[in-house]
Amino acid sequence: MAELSCSRIRRLVVCTLLCAGAVAASAAAPAATDAQALLAASDAIRNPGQPFSLAVSLTEYRAGKQTDANSLQVYSRADPQGGQFRTLVRFVAPARDLDKLMLKSGNELWFYDPASRASVRISPQQRLLGQAANGDVVTVNFAQAYRARLEQQEEVQDGDRQLRQCDRLALEAATPDVTYHSVQMWLDHANQRPVKARFFSESGRLLKTAFYRRYREELGVQRPTEIVIIDGLDPSLVTVMRYGEFVAREVPESWLQRDYLPRFRPE
Amino acid sequence: MRHAACGCLLLAAAIGIARAQDADDAALRLADQTAEAADPGKPERRLSVEAAGAWAAPRGGGQREQGQRLSLDLAWERALAPGWRFSLADRLDLLGPDRLPGERSSVNTLKELFLTGRLGRERIVDIGRVNLRLGVAMGYNPTDYFRELAVRQVVSVDPASLRENRQGTVMLRGQQLWQGGSASLLYSPKLGSGPNPGKHAIDVGATNHRHRWLLSLSQTLATDLQPQLLLYEPGEPHSSLQLGLNLTHLLSPACVAHAEWSGGRGPDLLARSHGQPGEGDAFHSQLAAGLTCTTARKLSLTAEYERNGAALDDAGWRALRRGPLAAELAYRQVAAERQDPPTRHNLFLRAAWQDALWPRLDLSAMLRANAADDSRQLWAEARYRLDSTDLALQWQGHHGSQRSEFGALPQRQLWQLLVKHWF
Repeated sequence: MAELSCSRIRRLVVCTLLCAGAVAASAAAPAATDAQALLAASDAIRNPGQPFSLAVSLTEYRAGKQTDANSLQVYSRADPQGGQFRTLVRFVAPARDLDKLMLKSGNELWFYDPASRASVRISPQQRLLGQAANGDVVTVNFAQAYRARLEQQEEVQDGDRQLRQCDRLALEAATPDVTYHSVQMWLDHANQRPVKARFFSESGRLLKTAFYRRYREELGVQRPTEIVIIDGLDPSLVTVMRYGEFVAREVPESWLQRDYLPRFRPE
Repeated sequence: MRHAACGCLLLAAAIGIARAQDADDAALRLADQTAEAADPGKPERRLSVEAAGAWAAPRGGGQREQGQRLSLDLAWERALAPGWRFSLADRLDLLGPDRLPGERSSVNTLKELFLTGRLGRERIVDIGRVNLRLGVAMGYNPTDYFRELAVRQVVSVDPASLRENRQGTVMLRGQQLWQGGSASLLYSPKLGSGPNPGKHAIDVGATNHRHRWLLSLSQTLATDLQPQLLLYEPGEPHSSLQLGLNLTHLLSPACVAHAEWSGGRGPDLLARSHGQPGEGDAFHSQLAAGLTCTTARKLSLTAEYERNGAALDDAGWRALRRGPLAAELAYRQVAAERQDPPTRHNLFLRAAWQDALWPRLDLSAMLRANAADDSRQLWAEARYRLDSTDLALQWQGHHGSQRSEFGALPQRQLWQLLVKHWF
C-alpha cells in the first residue's frame, strides 16, 4: 500500500466519520416537503426570468493540461407552454467555428454551419463541444424537468473549499428530453444558491460533478458565473464554464426554429 | 467478523470519498488558475487559407500524378443601414505548378453576393446570389434544387465540402416567419444560357440558365414533427412542378432518422444526355432516407439509402456500359452536373469520430456503393485541430469493374495532405 500523507490520513478520518454520519442520517431523512419549491428557487438564481443572452467561455483540461477552449453566445427564452428553456447557441471562438449555431428546443437539436448554409438535425447524444454535453451549455429549468425530493441537510465542501450547510435534493427526470437521468443537488440552506451537483446515467453511473461558483450580480440577482464540471468516469477531464454579459433581450418565438438559423445575426 | 466486514466497508467508502475529494480539489485548483477568455470581439468576416498537396495513382498503373493547391475562402457581412445587410462569400483556388489531369490553373467561385432586408421582425427579403441549401439527408439531396452546375472546383468528394464550395443562385426571395413555422417564396431569373468555363467568371449562366421559382413551407404539427414542404418549378420543357418533402425524427436520445423525397414529371437522365428531354418524360421520384446514431464516445454512424427514379435501372445501366463510350460519358456528365446518382439504387455510409484517439483528432470515413454494378468509392480523413489551424490527411479509393460508376474513374487512389488556417 502506498504511503499516506498526514493530510490524507486526516481526510480519511473525516471522511469515515462523514460516511458513518451519512449512513445514520439517511435512516432518518426528512420527507419531501417543499423540495420542488427549493429547486424552483435555485432555478430562479441560475436563470433570469425573462428572455436573455449571455456570453459563455469553456476551457477544457485533461490531466491538468488545457486541451481546448471555446467561446459562445447563448440566447434563451422559456417556452410559454412547458416552462422549459429553448436555447440558441452561437459559436464565437475558435475562428473555425465562428457563427456556427446550435438550436435546442426540448429534444430537437439543429446544428447550422454558415459555410455550407446547411442545417443538420443532431441527436441529444451528439456533442459539439468537446467534453461538454450540449445540455451543459443550454439553459435548464430543473424544476420543470425533474421531480425533486429533499434527502437531508448536510455540510458539504463548496467550490471555494468552504464547508457550507446545504439541502441535498434528489432529482428524478420527469420528462424524456433531459440530458441526465437523475441528479443530486446541494443548495445552500440559507439562500437556495446551487452549490454542487452530481449527474447520473439511467444505470446510476456518475457522469459528472459540478460546482457552482463565483457568484456575481447579474440582471439584479446574485448568480453563479462559473461552473466547474468534473467527468465522473475520468476525473482528470475538467471543464470550466464561465458566464458573463447577461443581457435581457427580446428573443422572439419565431426565431427558435430551423428555418430561422440562416437568418440569425448576433445583434 | 460482521464488525470487521462493516469496518472494511466503511473504510473502502471513506477511501472512495477521499479520492473524489482529491479530484474535486484538483479540478477546482485548475479553475482557480484559468485565465479569463480573450474577448473575441465582433468579427464581420471569416477568412481561411488552405494549402494542399495531392498524389494520385492512375488506374491501370502509369506514373503517379501530383498536384498542389492554395485556396482562399472569405465570407464577409456588413450592416449597411438599419435592417439591411450586405453578404459576400468567395473562394479562390490556385492550382499548380503541378496539377492533376483536367485541373485548371485557377478557379474563382463567387459563392454569395446579396442584400438582406428586414421588413419587420418576421419578414425578410434577399436579393442577389444566395447559396440556398435545402434538404436533410447526408449523402444525396433530391430537394436541394439549386445544386445543378453549382460546383466549379471539386476539392473533396466529401458531401459537406461539395455543399460548401459551390456558387449560389441569383434570386429574389421573401420569407415570412411565425411561431413554429415559416414560408418562403423565391424567383430565380434566367441570366445566361449555360456554364462559363472562364477561370474567374461569375458564371451566372450555370446557376441561372432557366426561369425558376420555389415555394417552401414548414410548420410544426406536433412535438418533433415539423415537415418542410417544397413546390419547385424547374422552368424547363417537359417538366412539371416538382413536389419535395423533408422530414427528421428522433428515434432515441442517440439516433435521428431523416427522409428527403422529391417527385414530379420530367425527363430522365438518359433523355437529358441525348439532348431530347421529351423522350423520357414521365413521373420520377428521388429519395434519400437513413439514420444517424451516436455512441457515448462521440462516434456518429450514418446509413442512407438513395434512390434516383430518373436514373437508369440495372438493365439500362448494363446496356449503356456495353454500348458506345461517348454515350456513356455524356450520361455520366449529365448525372455529375446535376449531382445525381447515375443508377437507381445506392448506399451511403459515413462514420465520424470526434476526439478519436486523443483530443482534437477527428477521424471520418465515407462509403458510396452502387447497387447496380457493385462499384464503390471510399473516402477517409484524419484531421487534427490546433487552435486556428487544421492538419488533415485524406485518402480516396475507387473500386469496381471497368466502366462501372467508380471503377471507370481515372484515379484508383488519391491522397491529399491539407493545412488550413483561419484568421
